[in-house]
Amino acid sequence: MSKISRRAFTGLAAASVGTLAFPSISFGALPKVVVIGGGAGGATAARYIAKDSGGAVHVTLVEASKRYYTCFFSNIYLGGFRNYASIGHNYYGLAVNQGVNVVHEWAVSVDAVARKVKLGSGEHLSYDKLVISPGIDLKYDKINGYSAAVQDKMPHAWKSGTQVQLLRNQVMNMKQGGTFVMVPPPNPYRCPPGPYERVSMIAHQFKQSNPTGKIVILDPKPKFSKQGLFEAGWQKHYPGMIEWISSEDHGGLKNVNASTMEFETDLDTFKADAACVVPAQRAGAIAMAAGVNNGDWCPIVPASMQSQADENIYVLGDASVAKSMPKSGFSANSQAKVAANHIRGALTGSKVFDARYSNTCWSLIAPDDDVKVGASYVAGAEAIDVESKFISQADDTSETRAANYQESIDWYNGMTADMFS
Amino acid sequence: MKKLLFVIFLLTFFCKFAFSDEQQIIAMGDIEYGEYLGAECVSCHQQKGASEGIPAIHGMDAEVFVALMLAYRAKEMENPVMRMIAGRLNDEQIGSLALYFSQLEPPK
Repeated sequence: MSKISRRAFTGLAAASVGTLAFPSISFGALPKVVVIGGGAGGATAARYIAKDSGGAVHVTLVEASKRYYTCFFSNIYLGGFRNYASIGHNYYGLAVNQGVNVVHEWAVSVDAVARKVKLGSGEHLSYDKLVISPGIDLKYDKINGYSAAVQDKMPHAWKSGTQVQLLRNQVMNMKQGGTFVMVPPPNPYRCPPGPYERVSMIAHQFKQSNPTGKIVILDPKPKFSKQGLFEAGWQKHYPGMIEWISSEDHGGLKNVNASTMEFETDLDTFKADAACVVPAQRAGAIAMAAGVNNGDWCPIVPASMQSQADENIYVLGDASVAKSMPKSGFSANSQAKVAANHIRGALTGSKVFDARYSNTCWSLIAPDDDVKVGASYVAGAEAIDVESKFISQADDTSETRAANYQESIDWYNGMTADMFS
Repeated sequence: MKKLLFVIFLLTFFCKFAFSDEQQIIAMGDIEYGEYLGAECVSCHQQKGASEGIPAIHGMDAEVFVALMLAYRAKEMENPVMRMIAGRLNDEQIGSLALYFSQLEPPK
């Protein structure tokens, strides 16, 4: 500051009056972005806004957890392919390398008029642009008999963390020859192939430690993601172990009893020795508190990921209605880059490029038998439209399937570096 | 003198065509655009390099980068993810990506 002469300073001040499109700059303070949620959407958005603005935007990331365990690859842990610590990440890189102000608290409400976020401590954070990327909340009450109080008996394990470790423990300790019941969620939900990869990984574990164990899938849906590939893989690797029962055959889950471990359907009552129950889902509660939802999810503008309800708020990842993209970590990461580019343009005048999105989901069926599905997308007027897509083929060579698994490991490392480094 | 002019003409002619498709595509590139487009690549390709699965692209020679992307776009190389990614890139976008990644530090 001391090196700037009075004349130069006056000139700067006059110049800043000319940039009224960026109001915070004209008052001498940096424009402020608050990001709620430190997952694939939020961590990526915070990192890209901070990194690409080179200090011209003040970015605060609000994330309650000090250590973030990814949902993606939690199934790989369940299958015994890696340890739990390997899917945990901290926010050190964002704070130290990128200069993101990391606040480990819950965001409890948003005042969209005053542009303030209220934290659990009672503190407020003001923003010029707000990114909401809270992931999902579970609708426990959509399954009779299921609740947060009994999730330790029948873990959902759908938000990573201790629930996944608990599920692994229950899989390992299930009685020999017992029955594992899997209840996938109804559409739309986080990670469409996830429940079926999970079944594959549990089957892989049973094959080694409980070869007479059985798995019954009571699906609330009549079909599922990558169905042909999964069913062929189950037939090949785990013949006779897995029974998938369509909603059309069991008529719907009427009740679950966590004490007796019974699942009541029209078809039959199934008794489990261990179970995983994943309820229906909705956008994380803070999205509702901010008023950017329409029902369970948050409509967005396809070209920018801005909320349709408030142009200063962007909603990323699972919480958004990003049709035709699936709810996945890859999708959230892709959406975050479009939003970051748009936010930086609005706050600093940097160039805003056309939105482009992509997604790929890898699923491990058995060791070195990994299938993938993916698509690229463009922003349409009403939705994020598919531009091109691909899916693994039934007649892939075993080399291709093994290469897919190696690719997924490298993707995991690339993705988590892209979020946290 | 006429001979000299003819030689110069020939040299000029061949130099013009000595610029490969790759070089022409690189010349269309814009580094800022490449940085934006490149955000899609680094979801998978890590700066610190990778094992045998997903190769490093940071610091890759721009002509090699372009040649690979053209091969994926023409479906002459196998990986379906890369065919999809390259399939929607025009020459300007490929040139921009090549310029951007070629000036980054390669993995150690």
